Amino acid sequence: MANSLATTSAQSLADASDIINAAIADDIRLEVRAMGTKKALGRMGAYDGVLDVTKMAGVVDYQPEELILTLRAGTPLGEVEALLENANQMLAFDAPDYGRFLGAGSAGTIGGVMVANLSGPRRLTVGAARDFMLGFEAVSGRGEFFKSGGKVVKNVTGYDLSKLICGSFGTLAVLDEITIKTLPRPETSLSLLFPADDMASATKMITDIFATPHEPGSAAILPRDIAKSSGIDMNAPMIIVIRLEGIAVSVKDRATHLLNANSAGETLVHNKSKNIWQKIRDVDLLSDAKADVWKVSCTPSIAAGFLEKLGQQAEFDFYADWAGGLIWLAGASDKEFGDAVRSALGADGFAMLMRDSGDTKTLVPPFQPLAKPMFDLHKRVKAAFDPKSVLNFGRMHDGI
Amino acid sequence: MHMPEPDSDVIERRDEICATLRTIIPAECVIDSVESMRAFDSDGLSAYRQLPLAVVLPETVAQIADVMKWCHQNGIKVVPRGAGTSLSGGALPLADAVLLGLGKFNKILDIDFDNRCVVAQPGVTNLAITNAVEDQGFYYAPDPSSQIACSVGGNVAENSGGVHCLKYGLTTNNLLGIEMVTIEGEILRLGGKHLDAGDYDLMGIMTGSEGLLGIVSEVTLRILQKPATRRALLVGFEDTESAGKAVGDVIGAGIIPAGMEMMDGLAINAAEDFANAGYPRSAAALIIVELDGPEVEVDTLIDRVEVIMKNAGASSIKVSQSEEERTLFWAGRKSAFPAVGRISPDYMCMDGTIPRRRLPDMMIRMASLSQKYGLRVANVFHAGDGNLHPLILFDANEPGELERAEDFGGDILRACVEMGGVLTGEHGVGIEKRDLMGIQFTEDDMKQQQRLKCAFDADHLLNPGKVFPHLHRCAELGRLHVHKGKMPHADIPRF
Repeated sequence: MANSLATTSAQSLADASDIINAAIADDIRLEVRAMGTKKALGRMGAYDGVLDVTKMAGVVDYQPEELILTLRAGTPLGEVEALLENANQMLAFDAPDYGRFLGAGSAGTIGGVMVANLSGPRRLTVGAARDFMLGFEAVSGRGEFFKSGGKVVKNVTGYDLSKLICGSFGTLAVLDEITIKTLPRPETSLSLLFPADDMASATKMITDIFATPHEPGSAAILPRDIAKSSGIDMNAPMIIVIRLEGIAVSVKDRATHLLNANSAGETLVHNKSKNIWQKIRDVDLLSDAKADVWKVSCTPSIAAGFLEKLGQQAEFDFYADWAGGLIWLAGASDKEFGDAVRSALGADGFAMLMRDSGDTKTLVPPFQPLAKPMFDLHKRVKAAFDPKSVLNFGRMHDGI
Repeated sequence: MHMPEPDSDVIERRDEICATLRTIIPAECVIDSVESMRAFDSDGLSAYRQLPLAVVLPETVAQIADVMKWCHQNGIKVVPRGAGTSLSGGALPLADAVLLGLGKFNKILDIDFDNRCVVAQPGVTNLAITNAVEDQGFYYAPDPSSQIACSVGGNVAENSGGVHCLKYGLTTNNLLGIEMVTIEGEILRLGGKHLDAGDYDLMGIMTGSEGLLGIVSEVTLRILQKPATRRALLVGFEDTESAGKAVGDVIGAGIIPAGMEMMDGLAINAAEDFANAGYPRSAAALIIVELDGPEVEVDTLIDRVEVIMKNAGASSIKVSQSEEERTLFWAGRKSAFPAVGRISPDYMCMDGTIPRRRLPDMMIRMASLSQKYGLRVANVFHAGDGNLHPLILFDANEPGELERAEDFGGDILRACVEMGGVLTGEHGVGIEKRDLMGIQFTEDDMKQQQRLKCAFDADHLLNPGKVFPHLHRCAELGRLHVHKGKMPHADIPRF
């Protein structure tokens, strides 16, 4: 029985509690899963059964004027975005849709986005998924119901467990109701393109743009070939893409200032602008399906040096978001490439294997390994919520 | 307010403990004379005072680690303290605990304009960060009213806000990394100059943990380019209900102002007496809306907000025409607390948050509570995010008034939770709201929070008696009552 990997569906936290309690009693490990679209992220743990949370779905309360959305974690992301769009609002952290990138076919659920703490290009200036999670109700790996946070935007009552839940990949608790801060959609949005000679000068130019009061919202760096494949043809080794958002007069004014300061700039509007940011967000720009894809978070000022160092050891395609602080790499599907990425980065950031086209994940830990004191603390935090390792055990790190 | 019973064995060993501490860190960094310790016997919640066992003021992170390690090994409690400006008693000393002050950590370590961040020691004041970067046009966004005095380490511990957090977020949204020292004396780095590491977000947990999980020994803060322009509107209303609705109308129109503040009649008049800011004295409610950004944007939005306010029934509207005028609009609001201090011997500042739409209900409730307790209340709100700061006026020299004011405050916070809000929006729980935690959280909610505490501090040595009304032993919290659950949908196949 224990190895049949049967699926049990929870319609409520009471169900989830019963299932977890039974798993504790039977010493069973569960994979917590909704639509399974992010299954490719993280390690492959060994599970005895699946706790399906797809049915804990639906909007509970949406108050646009309060900037508050309470909904159940299993609600599909597409439904959430349609609801917000109707009210002229958005998930400001730019929830990505990795459906194509991870070969899953859909963006999955809002809960999946939050527990994986996935954010898009706007993260640079408005914050990550974790910054928008205000509260939740859940069942821990102890099978016990608990809640944290609240349904208001400003709250410091008790530990901010919402932050911990975001990025915990389901290893601590099963979520039902979550409350998210929403923001108004910008009235207009356009992109500016600027040519740069290389990565170092591109990050420097972005630094200069961020030292103006013209409020760039997102900033990406695309090598020429990659830009060309998505319809942007500019004669330069690197192309900087800056997104400006806000009310029309403001966007126009800021664009004019930035273009006056750099006459080589060009403007992308409407769908052309929208499309390039969607591709940047959803990792559509790395087309080689046979490659392993890594996500590297670092400071923009070391990005060029990191890429140069890596280039001495391996071949890869790349592009950068977050002003150069997020680098997407597509390289060989082998351990050597992963090792080269980690050694070139050193302790200066975080490298995660996002898509594995072979068996790299069994050879290289997808999450950056933790030093002993941090590992021990992670293990104690895990035990505080899930002492019997019932939930997504080993998904992030071996033993957690 | 009951604090945990001090350990008399520890208190008896005081001289020996101080002598040992003097061998761990430079002797002059240990303060144990009663006169010198008086300066540390309270924080911003000055109704409560307590002398610590000893005060230690380390000078290096290694010294913090050594003190922590020794205290951990010897079962001595530690209360961390930044600048001591907490309004909730988070830094209140305990008779059997070492007070670990971070005042000597007052250096900015790195100003990194390329990556738009500042690395600072925890004792640096909030305002000093902005001062250090403003020549390049940058600033640090969170601006608690105490920013001239409060420390950035304390800001992390309390997750401090300010009037501009509606648009720019609290400390947690502007923090990139910290270095912390655990109770075992381990030095850990969480986050860094880069965004979003993929580990458990322990930095997010440390932020707002009120000194219960570790000592913040270094912070990395995100800095922003200053907006090109700031302008404000001063809007009077004849009734608070219309004012409350107007606040929602602004947000509903897709405008997120840099700040949106509200004051009631009593606060308006106290502030006007104090600051001569040109506030409409006859108004029942006053709203200050500040917009910042590029000039054309601010001018356009000012016009839009003006129309919204008119439609909402504003009785007076003034728009700042100069930086001086904008500053003057704020002068009254920023002096609201001392202004109220002039019209009453004592006041108590509350800090609940409610869903914004409940503001009119809250005003009605507050008026009836004011009548019930026979105490006046002046209201100052961060209206944009529903964060209330009712100031309860009382006279501590009148027997029973302090207790009455505390009961009044408790009822206000109960009303906040009942209306779907929370106990504290930015001041923290500390000791002040500790015994009210049960209004917002169930025993199970709090037990889960304390299990997390156990992951950091299994012996409850760090800042005990704060935040949680009941201390449970970690062994008891960790016990798992295994019981076979009743399975749902018994007809389907399972593991």
